[in-house]
Amino acid sequence: MRKDDVSLDNCLKCADCNTACPVVTAHPAYPGPKRLGPELERMRREGIQCDSDWLEYCLGCHRCDLACPNEVNVSELIARAKATHTKTPVRKIRDWWFARPGLLGRLMTIAPGISNFALGLKPVRGVMSATMKITPERTFPAYTSAPLRTPEAGTANQGERVVFFPGCYIQYNEPELGCHVLQLLQINGFNPEVASTGCCGVPSLANGDAVEARKRAVANVESMAEAVDAGARIVTACSSCGHMLKTGFANLLEGDAELGKKAEKIAANTFDLGELLMIQQDAGKLNTRFEPAATKLKLAYHAPCHQKSQGTGRPWYNLLRQVPGVEIVDLNAGCCGMSGTYGFKEEKYPISMQVGSELFEGIRSSAPQAVVTECATCQMQIEHGTGVKAMHPVDVLLNAYKESARV
Amino acid sequence: MKNVTSTHFDVIVAGAGVAGITSAAVAASRGLRVALVSTGPGSFVLGAGCVEVQNMDRNTPSLEEAIGFFRNFTELAGCGFRGGLEEKRYVPTILGSFQTVSMAPFYMWNGDPSAASQVAVVGIRGLSTFDSNFVAERLAYHASKLERGSKYIAYEIDLSIEEDTVPGTLQFGNRYDRDARFRQELRDALKPIATKANAIILPGILGLKSGQIEIDWLENQLGCLICELPTLPPSIPGVRLFNRLEARLRKAGVEVFSGFPIQKMEIEDRRYKGIMLDAPARPLHLTSETMILATGPFSGKLMGAPWSGVNRDLHPLDSTGAVVAENIYAAGAILHNSKAHGGNAMAILTGYASGMLAAGVGVQYAQG
Repeated sequence: MRKDDVSLDNCLKCADCNTACPVVTAHPAYPGPKRLGPELERMRREGIQCDSDWLEYCLGCHRCDLACPNEVNVSELIARAKATHTKTPVRKIRDWWFARPGLLGRLMTIAPGISNFALGLKPVRGVMSATMKITPERTFPAYTSAPLRTPEAGTANQGERVVFFPGCYIQYNEPELGCHVLQLLQINGFNPEVASTGCCGVPSLANGDAVEARKRAVANVESMAEAVDAGARIVTACSSCGHMLKTGFANLLEGDAELGKKAEKIAANTFDLGELLMIQQDAGKLNTRFEPAATKLKLAYHAPCHQKSQGTGRPWYNLLRQVPGVEIVDLNAGCCGMSGTYGFKEEKYPISMQVGSELFEGIRSSAPQAVVTECATCQMQIEHGTGVKAMHPVDVLLNAYKESARV
Repeated sequence: MKNVTSTHFDVIVAGAGVAGITSAAVAASRGLRVALVSTGPGSFVLGAGCVEVQNMDRNTPSLEEAIGFFRNFTELAGCGFRGGLEEKRYVPTILGSFQTVSMAPFYMWNGDPSAASQVAVVGIRGLSTFDSNFVAERLAYHASKLERGSKYIAYEIDLSIEEDTVPGTLQFGNRYDRDARFRQELRDALKPIATKANAIILPGILGLKSGQIEIDWLENQLGCLICELPTLPPSIPGVRLFNRLEARLRKAGVEVFSGFPIQKMEIEDRRYKGIMLDAPARPLHLTSETMILATGPFSGKLMGAPWSGVNRDLHPLDSTGAVVAENIYAAGAILHNSKAHGGNAMAILTGYASGMLAAGVGVQYAQG
């Protein structure tokens, strides 16, 4: 799909990508992936100036890539144009910060109490809206300074070494979820450790900062290459991090023979946690000592776009529907519209909500007790748009195990 | 605990066109665990999915059951087909000609000139891909040649346009799905015309996800038959048909892998084992007991063997005439049978037959 960049010649203008694009669906003025991708790319390659503010409005969901019957790298062509797009000064400053959630996280967690208090204050959000064009409609996730550490290897747990890539959200906002990931890995016989890495770089790419994204790729590749060389697999629990490790690093480091090779090796050894557990299950190795359920739990599953783009099927959905007492439906209602930092931007907030409306409607009509989805920002959007609790599937699966199954 | 594996299936169907979708539906209805693998959504974006049986022998074994199954399946999907083997209708096109069909989705079926005598051809101001004057004039000409007495009168309605946009069928289709006010606006614009006609021909704009309920609503409100014509790509009625059928397959438990082409098919000792999907980072390995190849006319290379057609059981043959693998079946346009390949009827027939064969149900089937 995105392996060579002459693929624009494959574009037959069938417009399948436009029918799949969440932004086109919600907002007709958006020119759509066909126009911003292959069509304008022909001009751009001839050196013709055709910069457009609309480039900023691409969600980076990759649905156009999946819809294309002719394997055109539609979203990649848009992402490259986005990286050379000229922004207004205010957006430039705001997006500089949004491109660096790792830096933000480190700053905010110096004194998380103060950060959370300040971010919750109406006047502060008013100022952020006026000066930075960050929408006051949303609340920021709370920061916490509790560090996520590699668990002490128990004597009973000498299983396969895996390296958990936590990503910014788990590291700075919800380390508890990271602990649950580690527990789930241990319950299933793995010997997990936490990677000492920073941001994966997806937010940098999404905000058109290819230089920063490359820096993140280099740092991450350097820090994980050794473990992968030693035979360890990398595990992600955030679908966007997983997507980046699998596709982004190798793309960004294409020009560097040595780093590019390392990036490819990391990609080939990166597994989403659900994917890893489903592989265990397929091999008959999943720990299935589940507790008989006391009450029925009615859940709805939302597949994040960056989960779909990984091409692994629906591992979490298939895992959770085997848990006793869990009744789960796959919403299959499109993109949530959040796309990480996109939904926080004042000028993009209305589109973000319009995109999500189909999903919100789907959730309302299936009336679940909670929605499960792997992506932290999808969770934020779902709670914001519906008021229904959204959680990571890790928490559902971990809860299902008997106390005795835990290490 | 149910043991649901995520990478092993009873049947993998490759290709999400009419043939692939039909065979996946048949296999699932027989209780098999099915995966549907595709690079893109068939060719629905180009057309509307009408069915022609004209070029086929009506007595072809299994044809009637296959058509019956397809009708039932599309009905359940909310996108029912009208017509049947013995029917012959004239469905209008945006070029003002008539296409002869045996079956069509319900929203096209009423365009036949014998179904209505006063037909309003309604364009939308600013929508350049549908010229109602042209269409009405040409349809009147062609209807008279068919000795049908229908009158075609062109109208143009005004619909609100989103700011900074050019009117397009995709915009209207999305708004029909998402915006109740738009649906009412369309109804109100058509109401005065509906009193003067017993059928309305519209460019295809009635939603990409809508089904019988949403389109019947408009027809009932107007008290007038509606026929929607697919315009230049994207064809809204075609995309709608795909969306409805795919959603129905998911509901029936079919696991859908879309967006990733097959990199390799594993065949050992004339037995198919599995496929490799070209997923990011590393191929996704899927295995199944049987494989149904419905990948269209351009992709015969997948098996790594020269292709010389199929035998009576739909098993593909290599250049020596030997069966490539006993657990592969072929369906749809990949069969290259130009003599009998007519407007989806062959796709439905071979899709049906391959699904039944994969389920171990003997189907009497003869090609052409």
